[in-house]
Amino acid sequence: MQILSVIFISVGLFFLIVAAIGVIRLPDVFSRSHAVSLTDSLGAFLMLVGIALHEGLGTNMLKILIVLALLYILNPVIAHATIRAALRSGLKPWEKENS
Amino acid sequence: MATRSRPVSSEFLFFKAMALFVFWIFLSASFEWVHLGLGLIFSFVVAWLNSGHSPFVPKFRLWLRVLLYLPWLFYKIVQSSLNLSKLILHPELPITPQLIPVKSKLRHHAAVVLFGNSITLTPGTITAEVDGNNLIIHSMDKSDDAAIKEIESKIADIFKDEEPDL
Repeated sequence: MQILSVIFISVGLFFLIVAAIGVIRLPDVFSRSHAVSLTDSLGAFLMLVGIALHEGLGTNMLKILIVLALLYILNPVIAHATIRAALRSGLKPWEKENS
Repeated sequence: MATRSRPVSSEFLFFKAMALFVFWIFLSASFEWVHLGLGLIFSFVVAWLNSGHSPFVPKFRLWLRVLLYLPWLFYKIVQSSLNLSKLILHPELPITPQLIPVKSKLRHHAAVVLFGNSITLTPGTITAEVDGNNLIIHSMDKSDDAAIKEIESKIADIFKDEEPDL
């Protein structure tokens, strides 16, 4: 069980690093927010599952699962609010030039 | 914006407070009188504070279908996460970001909410603007178009037996 939880946390960490690289490499607000949503959907998910496995059955596991559910409910709301604000304030999305 | 005209039955308020109280007991996992009393007070306060916003009537059949839809959505999320990671780590950064206007054929408020949430939850696509059933979606990759269509048809399937309200 401990080994499994270490594997989950490591893979989650990998996705968090990928997301961080994405935030640096991508060109504008819109595409960067995609990289951020990668953090929640796989990075945080895998890490929380790893921590839950580490804790074993009990109230702590239940609390972690509740955190997970809230994360999946709240994150789309925040991402959508950010992007809508960017669009309404007149930012134009970066587009690839025709080559 | 929020109107407070909706009358809330005291039975419903009580039911909500009790549900919150059970949740409190689960989380606190202690049975001292101080904790239980505080929990009871706060569950009634929270239930009362939320009493103005309950237009949502739970329908068992609908919830069951939504629950069955979630594993499929999770599979799509994993798939597009891997796709996006590949794009980010690719040395040439082969992304094609674009805004796609989508006119969905969904005819329910709840369906559009579910649709927009699913799209935003899937990495690589974000709902940027919603007005009725016109959505503007920002996507990273050309292949996302097909995924959006697929999600929409799944959701239309969930809501096929309900009365349209949009």
